[in-house]
Amino acid sequence: MLKNYFQIACKVYMRRKLFTAINLLCIVLTMVVLLVVTAILQATFFPTGVEGRSERFLQIGTITQVSKNKTWRSPLGYKVIDQYLRKMKTVEKVAAVTGPESVSVYQKDSVNEIMMRRADAEYWQILDFKLLSGRVPTEEDVKQGRFVAVVNESTAKKIFGSAAVVGQKINTGGQQFEIIGVVEDVIHMNAFADIWVPVTTFPSSQYREQYTGNFNAMLMGKSAADLPLIRDELLQVVKQINADQPTHWDETYMWADSKLDFFARGILSHDKLADSGSAQLLAGVVFFMLLFMLLPALNLVNLNSGRIMERAAEIGVRKAFGASNRELVKQFVIENILLCLFGALVGLIFTKLTLIWLSNAELIPYLKVDLSFAVFSYGFVIAIVFGVLSGVIPAWKMSRLDPVLALKGAA
Amino acid sequence: MFFHILKPIWKRKFKNLLLSLEILLAFCVVFGLALMSARYYQLYHLPTGFVLQDVWSVRMLSSGGSDKKNDPIVTENFQRSLSALPEVEQVGFINYSPYSNSTWRSDLFLPNSKSGFEVNLTDMADETPGLLGMKLLEGRWFSSEDEGRAEKAIVINKKLADSMFPGKSAVGQLVTDNEPGSKESKFLRITGVFEDFRNKGEFMAPTNFLIRRFSRAAEDERMEVVLIKVKPGTSRAFEEKLNQQLKLIRSDWGYRISPLAEMRKSKMTLDTVPLMIMAVIAVFLLIMVGFGLFGVLWQNTTQRIPEIGLRRAIGASSRHIYQQIVTEQLLLSSIAMLVGMVLLIQLPLTGVLGDAINWTVFITATVISVAAIFAISTLCSLYPAWRASRLSPTEALHYE
Repeated sequence: MLKNYFQIACKVYMRRKLFTAINLLCIVLTMVVLLVVTAILQATFFPTGVEGRSERFLQIGTITQVSKNKTWRSPLGYKVIDQYLRKMKTVEKVAAVTGPESVSVYQKDSVNEIMMRRADAEYWQILDFKLLSGRVPTEEDVKQGRFVAVVNESTAKKIFGSAAVVGQKINTGGQQFEIIGVVEDVIHMNAFADIWVPVTTFPSSQYREQYTGNFNAMLMGKSAADLPLIRDELLQVVKQINADQPTHWDETYMWADSKLDFFARGILSHDKLADSGSAQLLAGVVFFMLLFMLLPALNLVNLNSGRIMERAAEIGVRKAFGASNRELVKQFVIENILLCLFGALVGLIFTKLTLIWLSNAELIPYLKVDLSFAVFSYGFVIAIVFGVLSGVIPAWKMSRLDPVLALKGAA
Repeated sequence: MFFHILKPIWKRKFKNLLLSLEILLAFCVVFGLALMSARYYQLYHLPTGFVLQDVWSVRMLSSGGSDKKNDPIVTENFQRSLSALPEVEQVGFINYSPYSNSTWRSDLFLPNSKSGFEVNLTDMADETPGLLGMKLLEGRWFSSEDEGRAEKAIVINKKLADSMFPGKSAVGQLVTDNEPGSKESKFLRITGVFEDFRNKGEFMAPTNFLIRRFSRAAEDERMEVVLIKVKPGTSRAFEEKLNQQLKLIRSDWGYRISPLAEMRKSKMTLDTVPLMIMAVIAVFLLIMVGFGLFGVLWQNTTQRIPEIGLRRAIGASSRHIYQQIVTEQLLLSSIAMLVGMVLLIQLPLTGVLGDAINWTVFITATVISVAAIFAISTLCSLYPAWRASRLSPTEALHYE
């Protein structure tokens, strides 16, 4: 049966090539926009590569402290990570890293602004940086507070003019670091930076005593199954922190989140709720995609309603031989879905080209998004939704043609 | 004539309903984009209230971020040794730099009322307004003569002066920074009214603005930014020398130096990103609508060949057919846009988006988007109409 439909669809679509081309163009344009967005969201929420172990670790970005009429929201202080999070029983590794801060680098006559993070040794163990040359800081380097630095490829080229910079000295913020490694450019939320130095190179040791500061924490469990346990234990730890803190707050909140949860919490500001609102965020994304599809779908509806008349004779014959309205609707919707799937396939090729262009155009520094199997299957789903959305109304109209008039071809 | 055209449209109402729905949606998309661009254009041409030529900003970051105390000796030292550099013309403190992403908001109260005015504010030293070339409209800037007075000296912008003291002069008036009567409230004295200070740059909507005086000698909290006006023609190579000079004063602080012109550039890029994304999406949608409309009109005229043949047979010229098809399409678009306008006019009427949608912007956006939709409808109907008008009556009547 499907084979029949497929053959008819091919015949019909080949008959009026101009309209089929217009139809396809509309589908491809829509699919490209939606697939590019999907690919970027997929790479953000479920990254591969440097943050490929994301399903095994949780991150804490902010600590929220509340008193009667005051709310203070800030990244973590090092003390919280060192004295409390590291002592948790359910975690395997805990990494502390500052948010990226812009610093000036003076090299010869030029001044460059680059983003710097200060990280501990575990940071390099949790994230899988691709090392191009040299090595990453070890626990020994961090413990001793050695002035060593890792830079990424672009920064090495920007400052020194070549990527072979291991052993060179770099001057930033009045401190001199020796470069020990070069890593690939990445943009992911925990990995993004131009230069990394050990956390122990802060000019003063004040940071060790702070509950709030500029740190993010990553908590890695032995497997993905450990993550709920980490979340549970964290609740106890937060109570302890709240009790120990010298400036007394009524309530302290801290949540260990996956990537998706982290973004949802930030966007919906669920700072005081255990539920991050990720379901809401996803619903919002789906809603906006449907909204975006509305105009192209209406467009397709209009084009398709016009094309029914081309097939009046066919419909008349089918009806005269006893085809029910439902069968006709089914046939037409399936035809439309087939066209959409074909459009999606072409769209995927253009999406790939767009993504290559986006990576090379450097609109967003270090952005590298690729099509994955997940994006491929989302594309499949989007095409089917789009096909149904734009096929149902013309199909319903078609099935209501009066067979007598249709046979005469004068509807 | 008008009804003659309306009648065939009404005859095919279901199909035309869908078509006008599509035009309506396209109209809304273009309108949104036009509205945003018009607002940006309007904001861009308002004065920012300051001059950024040759002004550099230096952010002074203490390690750990906890060192917020103002040390009068250090602050005075910064002022003196930076002024001594030959490339430097003026030096002035401010608590956060223009064109940065920081915002500081508070409420300001009249001494005898409980309802506050929302204001954006910043702290400046006596030298800073002059350094930034800000325009004074009334009264005077705060200066050393305000040192040691019980009430802190402030200056406010014209917008705030007009809304707080309508019809009278704001100079010399007292206001409070907290609800009158509460323990923490302090009096502030207005010494002058200035034109404006849109510190986030060209695309910042005008707000109530308040500038408090920062006293180098007596303030508790230090200023994080020092603005430096350099001699015209100073190159960026001066940055390293400046950094060395700064390190001589406090070696444990970090300094982030950038000319305001650079900060403006990156801020403008950041501000126009949403507009760009919207424009790309709108163009995508419009291309699609254009193709769709073209296809639909082509099909429609094909289906109406017998009708056209009949009209030709009873004497309509090919020009008449041409006109009929284009006019029908334009009429359909007008109906769709009329419905759209009824919905969209609620925006300025109800004032949901506040100042962002004023009548000037709204009317500009309306004109642009109506013109765009008419242009697309005409363009898409030209070829199908031409094709229909070329049919000879005999062929058309025989068309099966």
